[in-house]
Amino acid sequence: MAAKKLRRAQLSQEMCERLGRYQITTCQDFLCLSLLELMKVTGQSYYEVQKLLCKVSRACAPKMQTAYEMKLRKSVNPSSAFLSTTLHSLDGVLHGGVPCGSLTEITSPPGCGKTQFCIMLSVLATLPVSMGGLDGAVIYIDTESAFSAERLIEIAANRFPTYFDSDEKLFCMTRSIHLYRELTCCCVLKRIMSLEEEIISKKVKLIIIDSVASVVRKEFDTKLQGNLAERSNFLTRGASVLKYLAEEFSIPVILTNQITTSLSSGPGFRADLVSPADDLSLSE
Amino acid sequence: MQREVGTLPLAPALRARLAAAGFQTAQELLDTGPCGLSKEIGISREEALEALQVVRQECHGDAARTAGGSGATRKCTALELLEEEQTQGFIITFCSALDNILGGGVQLTKITEICGAPGVGKTQLCMQLAVDVQIPECFGGVAGEAVFIDTEGSFMVDRVVDIAAACVQHCHLIAEAQQEEDLGKALETFSVENILSHIYYFRCRDYTELLAQVYLLPEFLSEHSKVRLVVIDGIAFPFRHDFEDLSLRTRLLNGLAQQLIIIANDHRSAVVLTNQMTTRIGQSQSTLVPALGESWGHAATVRLIFHWDNSQRLATLYKSPSQKESTIAYHITSHGFRDVQPPAVTHSTEGPELNPRKRPRTEEEKQ
Repeated sequence: MAAKKLRRAQLSQEMCERLGRYQITTCQDFLCLSLLELMKVTGQSYYEVQKLLCKVSRACAPKMQTAYEMKLRKSVNPSSAFLSTTLHSLDGVLHGGVPCGSLTEITSPPGCGKTQFCIMLSVLATLPVSMGGLDGAVIYIDTESAFSAERLIEIAANRFPTYFDSDEKLFCMTRSIHLYRELTCCCVLKRIMSLEEEIISKKVKLIIIDSVASVVRKEFDTKLQGNLAERSNFLTRGASVLKYLAEEFSIPVILTNQITTSLSSGPGFRADLVSPADDLSLSE
Repeated sequence: MQREVGTLPLAPALRARLAAAGFQTAQELLDTGPCGLSKEIGISREEALEALQVVRQECHGDAARTAGGSGATRKCTALELLEEEQTQGFIITFCSALDNILGGGVQLTKITEICGAPGVGKTQLCMQLAVDVQIPECFGGVAGEAVFIDTEGSFMVDRVVDIAAACVQHCHLIAEAQQEEDLGKALETFSVENILSHIYYFRCRDYTELLAQVYLLPEFLSEHSKVRLVVIDGIAFPFRHDFEDLSLRTRLLNGLAQQLIIIANDHRSAVVLTNQMTTRIGQSQSTLVPALGESWGHAATVRLIFHWDNSQRLATLYKSPSQKESTIAYHITSHGFRDVQPPAVTHSTEGPELNPRKRPRTEEEKQ
């Protein structure tokens, strides 16, 4: 929306050419200027410039919906609002399961079972809707090389023996889980940016990133100058793209995180190292 | 009438031509007339007429202002302002301790900022306020509608349904206890569906969409004149990444703050913003401060900081022009934002209860 060219914002041809001479081609450039600068650049009077601002704003402003319309849309298709984890007490606490359309974060100390949980959710997502799944493909971004395909088959065969009764079915399931091994922050971000097309072409219904914290901790030493800004930049950029994907396609996105001990003057309490959904990042 | 040509809101090229031709004051332009003007500076008659109309409008605006009438700037005495403030409504938060320290609730025509760490309850309070602004006047509310601008995607419709249902039930209980006719009539239109259809939701994905939406907001508010609350949930989020040019960020934020102040005043609505926290690393220790820097601190009139103390949520009134700094505890329940214990029913501790439309709160059962 921000990179929308002014031509498509219904400004006249000559106005676009004139603005182009000042390197103002997108709506973002236009809206970042102050009124006086806009007057100088467009050569129009104050009131004309305000009208132009409204025109450009209308081109990139979001559409209005009332909360009632949102609720109606959700209630039309209630089963697609959650991915049930098949753990009844967890589903009860989450009011149905992992919600579709938003980011969910799983955090724990090492060895508690985050990767196992992710593998199980991948199996669940490939199941048909009648069995509580999402009947779709899974994108699994693995930064720790912890994903084991054998374990995947073991879980599937033991958990749903009646459904996965033949090797054929198992292989079909494994074919719809797309694994990407990314080992640096830069690669992870590039991969996230390229996900939109993959989601449409492969009919993806679940995205898992395991784990964000390991790749961030490897690369950013928070004691070094300037690393904090870069780290929070990377996290917020990744978070906003993932949120957009989750909302646009109404699919769940799962991220795993690590626990670290924060040394403070009081009793040492546990705190999340990185919280991409709503980042408590260190200052710039 | 003696206004200089250079200060008129005309196109820069036109102004340059007028200066080159020797025109100095607005009066000279008006005396020349459109035909004379077009001949002297070489523009068409239509353009000259347009320019003269602009000049005339400006001069009339100036004259009205100097004569003390109502123009673009409002002028009134402090007494008029006092009367206005006393009859003004507050948007209650259903947590009476918080209402007390705010002086009655979230004030209209002011910008209130809520800062806090993730998960402490900022969005919950925003959703609660979006429901509370719609409470009918006979129950002590302002009977308005709400605009919710979401930049983080944390708005959950199901949660708003829960909060609205609890609010409607609360009002039903009051109506039954008081047994008055107008209360019952007001309740007919106060239902969950009605509440939801008067919350106008915008999802802004980046700062450009946010800027565009705030530019279009005055027009939207003129069409929906009953809106009394504008919530921007997450003003920090779109400005914290992808910004290498910090001076541009400061300029955009200041512009945004000014527009919001104009919106709050012109449309008599409350503006509520939520902000994130960031850590400032000092000499020997680090403190948690609101994000977006020092200059943003001047934008909001009232600042609330939500924080944790072990497992209790606390709210601190950090900045306010009329109330003193204090800290209270609050709870988030399945019904929404609430006090920690049921509040005592004494009118003297209700704070400055000068609003004649507000009914005193009776002892009601809390969930």
